[in-house]
Order: sequence, then structure tokens, then C-alpha cells
Amino acid sequence: MRALRVAAAVLVLVVFAGVGGGAAAEAKGRAPERWLDMELQGSDGYSVHISSGPSGHLNLEVSKGWFAATYVTRDQLAAPDRVKAQLRGLGTVSVRFHPRGPVRQPTAPYCSKKQRPTLQPGLVRGTIKFTGERDYVRVEADEAKASIEESKRGSCRYASPPEFDPRERDWVSKFTASGDGVFFLARRYQPGALPTGDALYFTETGELFKETAALPWLLIWREIKVPAPASTFQDAHPEHLTITPPPPFSGTGSFARTPESVFTWEGDLALQFPGLDPIALAGSTFEPGYCLREWGCIDQHLD
Amino acid sequence: MGGRRLSLVAVGFAVMAVLLGGAVGQASSRGGKTEVQPARTYGFLDLGKEKGYRLALYMPDKRVVVFYAYRLDQGESENFGIRYSLYAVRNRGDLEQGVVRARFGSLGRVDLRFRPGGRVNRDDPQSGCEGGMETARFGSFVGRLRFRGSGNYFHVSSSKGKAFVAHSPRLRCEAGQAEGVTGGSLRGYVTPSPLISDNDSIALLDASGHRHGRQVRISAVHEEGSPPGAEIQLGIAESRHGMAIGHGIYFEGARGTLLTSLPGAHPATATLSPPAPFFGKGVYSEENQSWSGSLGVKVAGLKVPLTGPGFHVHLCVANALKDRNGCEYFKGEPAADERAARPGWDLR
Repeated sequence: MRALRVAAAVLVLVVFAGVGGGAAAEAKGRAPERWLDMELQGSDGYSVHISSGPSGHLNLEVSKGWFAATYVTRDQLAAPDRVKAQLRGLGTVSVRFHPRGPVRQPTAPYCSKKQRPTLQPGLVRGTIKFTGERDYVRVEADEAKASIEESKRGSCRYASPPEFDPRERDWVSKFTASGDGVFFLARRYQPGALPTGDALYFTETGELFKETAALPWLLIWREIKVPAPASTFQDAHPEHLTITPPPPFSGTGSFARTPESVFTWEGDLALQFPGLDPIALAGSTFEPGYCLREWGCIDQHLD
Repeated sequence: MGGRRLSLVAVGFAVMAVLLGGAVGQASSRGGKTEVQPARTYGFLDLGKEKGYRLALYMPDKRVVVFYAYRLDQGESENFGIRYSLYAVRNRGDLEQGVVRARFGSLGRVDLRFRPGGRVNRDDPQSGCEGGMETARFGSFVGRLRFRGSGNYFHVSSSKGKAFVAHSPRLRCEAGQAEGVTGGSLRGYVTPSPLISDNDSIALLDASGHRHGRQVRISAVHEEGSPPGAEIQLGIAESRHGMAIGHGIYFEGARGTLLTSLPGAHPATATLSPPAPFFGKGVYSEENQSWSGSLGVKVAGLKVPLTGPGFHVHLCVANALKDRNGCEYFKGEPAADERAARPGWDLR
């Protein structure tokens, strides 16, 4: 498979353009949005969540602890109660929804009463088969718990922010490095500001496998967030920073000003996602940015 | 370098701004609400291209004739550059009668008469002014024209080319809207205007000197976040035998052009190695306030040294986070006419 890595921001637009369009359509009084959701347990402690919605995409999310990967491809049926999708050599999802029990209207955070969706519980039957890269996770089932969520007045599905500790916003210094399809973020906090550690490391990657005559397109997002002690984030000098995050990161990244007054981001810092070789997070192909909350930011552009 | 690149249009305007710079700001103002823009006659003759230079004769007002040459460069590493030379003398003819007669010392002379063609353009006054339309009459100049640049770097002997003579009537303008004609020195018509900015600069080296009536200034600026390299600007101004001469160079220098010590390091040091037409290297040391090395420039047939004890040097290495506005050196300087010992430099 020939992989084309694309910038994360672009991918966000690709994936969520359909969702936004659906919400806008609903607001104009068109058909309500329906989402089919399935919950499964994968091997090695991974959770697997599969969903299909009005955008005509199938999302298969694998998560454990601070790690999550989302595999997105085209749902060939795009019907509210049926899903059929090929995950390009990684698996197949071909199921039909069967309702079980009464419709409910659960409360949802960040969702007003008028926007609250209805939920039809049930199960799906058919084929669910997925194997992560190098077998890091497996899931295989012919039946799974499922539900259909229907929202008549605009979906709250993506209105709620991702779950995170609001204290994470109160960083003291922050470093980012943007590469081709890779985004690295490191934050340092006041001592004791977070219960998990005074530094936080986040990486997100996006990888797009283009459609061929034989295979559908496949988009893979991977992200990881790792807390760490402040000692891993050394920025005593305001124009010089050294970062040594804990596993699954490895190595060190160093941000510094050169006599040319250019800011470089170098080192052997890397990250290993489950099932993949380590990916480099430092080097001349990354655009670094460094902020001190009290002062401002430096953004170094590439040639 | 793309972020710093000036568009060709901008460069065109910049070059014209250099020429017009001396002609702006002399309008009379009474009471602060309105001001008068005096009537003005000006003319232009396009002399075409030679040896990569675009050549023209410009009469910014009826009293002054400026010969100018400029060229755009696209270096090997696709870095952008512009260089220009201006020679200003008094017009001994009467432009209002279509006569341009001037001597450029040993470099050349013009003795021309305007022959109007059929085309006439009429334009409203600029925004904020009223009082009548500007009239531009297109045609050609006939007569003799000869100009040979120092070192024969260009040689013109024909007055063929598109030309116009324009007349702008006396206008009444809102304060700040008038463009006037200076009655000042010829120097004002050739003094290079800045093409670089110190906005967000985090490294800036500026060296200026005055020797044998020639004022020289070279500035190098690296903007925060920009790729390796620095913007370079050179300005030279001198007066010779009733003629004011100005040379200007703007270049985007590649990696290694400007190297400095880091913020807070003392004694501070800097090395400047700009690309051709510059040559050699200039080295600054804060420790003994020295500016030495082989740095020089070849411009318009001249070879001008750019280092030595006669230069005043300023080095700024700003902390990219703490010095939010960067070096802000040019803004902080006194106006050009307050610095008799320094090159006259139009400051923002």
C-alpha cells in the first residue's frame, strides 16, 4: 500500500466536513441524523468502537489508556441500520442492526434538551473482523451490542469537547512541532497543577491510503497522550528547550537558537505507536513553535 | 525566503518612491485642517534596458532631472534582489516649455525637447484633494542624450522611448493628503529609501560611515521565524560637482549571511557575509567596538569598502520571546536631517 501522509488539520476537515454538512442540513429541516454505534472488546485490553453516520463513513476506533487509533473508510451501504465496509486488508464490517427494547432519550453533556437525541438499543449481526497492524489488536464477532442514535434538531455528537481535564489548559510553557502528517505537543505546568504530572506529551498522526481500483481509501488517525514529571521538560533558558518524554516516546528533542537566529528542532526523539515502527518527532522537516504563557511565542518556518 | 520576497509591483513602487521621496512632504499647512499642494510639472522618459538595467530619465519637478537605472536579480538560490542608481542634477531648461537641459558632470548630458503625441490622460486629484484635474501628455523627447555609467556599466546615447509630461494644478487637500515639491537639496532626490523593515527582527546589524563626502550604510536584518538568511540593504549617497548620486541595493541573503552571538552574550559579536554584488566579510566585536574585515560592494562601476574605523555600528540581538517588537532600531532613530554625520536615510 502506498501511503500518503497528510497534515492533520487537513484531515480533520476531510473527516468532519460531512458531519458539519449534515448538521447544517438538519438545521434547514432536512432528514434527521442517524448514527449506528457498536461496542466490542478487542484483544490485549483494547476497546473497539465502530460507528457509521450520515457522512457515509465508517469509523473504527481502537483505544486503551492514553492511546487511540481511528480507522475511517467508506461505508458502502450508508443505510441507517446496515453497514458494509472494507478496511483495506485490516478487516471487514458487514452487519445489520436489530432493535431490542424501548427507545430512550438519554441526557448528554453539552447538549440542550431540544437537541437531545433518541437512542434505540439493540444488537448487530453479521461479520465484524479487524486485525490491527502487526496484530497489536484483534476483534472478531458475528454479534455485538449496538444502538441507533437519532437527532432531529442537529446533532450534539461532536458539539461536546473531547474529554480532558480542564486544568490541562493552564500550561506555563508549550512546545509544538508540526511535520508531514505528524503533530507533536508538549506542555509544562506549575508544580502540582495536574494530578498526573507536571508535563504532558501529545502526538497525533494522520495517514491516508488513497483509493485504488481494487481497494477503497483508508484514513488512519493515531494519537497518544502521556503525562510525565517536569524534569522531562527542561526550558530554564527562554530560547532553549530540551524534551525527554517517557515511553512510548524515546530519545531527546532539543529546540535552540543558532547564530543565524534560526530556531532548530533536533535530536533523536521518536514515538512508537502499537503495531508500527518508531516515527521521528524531531528534525529539520518539522516546524517548531515554542510559547511561554507570560511572554509570547516563537514560530520557526521552514524554507 | 518567500515570506520576505517583494513583489515586482512593490519593487516598482519602491523605486518610484525613492525618486518621489524627495518630493513629498513640503506642502504648506495652515491651521492643521487643510493644506495646499503647489502646482507641479513633471516628466518621464523610458530609455529601455541595457546590461540588465532598466533606464529612465525622470523629472520629478521642473527644476530637477534624475537619471535612474535599476535591475532586479534572481540569485542562484532563487533569492531576490534589486539594485538601483540615481543621478540628480538641476534642469537648466524649462520643463513647462518641454525643455530638459542638464549636465551630469563627466557622466553625460541631456539636451531634449518634448514633442507631444496625440494622447492625453486626465486624472482626478488624489483622494482628499480638490482643485482641478492632472493632465498627462504623452509623446517623445527629441535632441541629444548621452549617459555613461561609471566603469561603463551602461551607456545610453539615444533619447528614443515612451515619454510624458504631466501637469498637476494647485490643490487644496485635507491635512496629510498633499504631495508637495521640495525646494531642498538634490540629495533628497537620490537618498535610498528603506526596503526592509525591522518589524519582528531578532537580529539586526547596521553599519554606517562617512568618508570623502560619501555616506554609506549597510543594514542586515533577520526576522523572527524566517528561514536561515538575512535581508540586506545598502545605501550610498554622495554629492559631486553639482550632482547628487545615490545607489541602493536590496538583497535576500542566503544561509550564513548574518551570524551573531546569542541574546545576552557579552561581548557580542557578529559576522556579515552578504551575497554578490557584495564581497568579503565584515566582523563586529563589542569588546573593542571594532568593525573590520574585507567587506565591500561593487555597485555602478564603483568598488566601495564597507568596513573600517570610520563606521558607526549597531548590533541588536533580541530575545524572541521577551523583546516582543524585536529590535525596532530604525523606528527609534532620529530623523535623517538630524543626523548630519550619518547617511541621510528616510526613516519611518
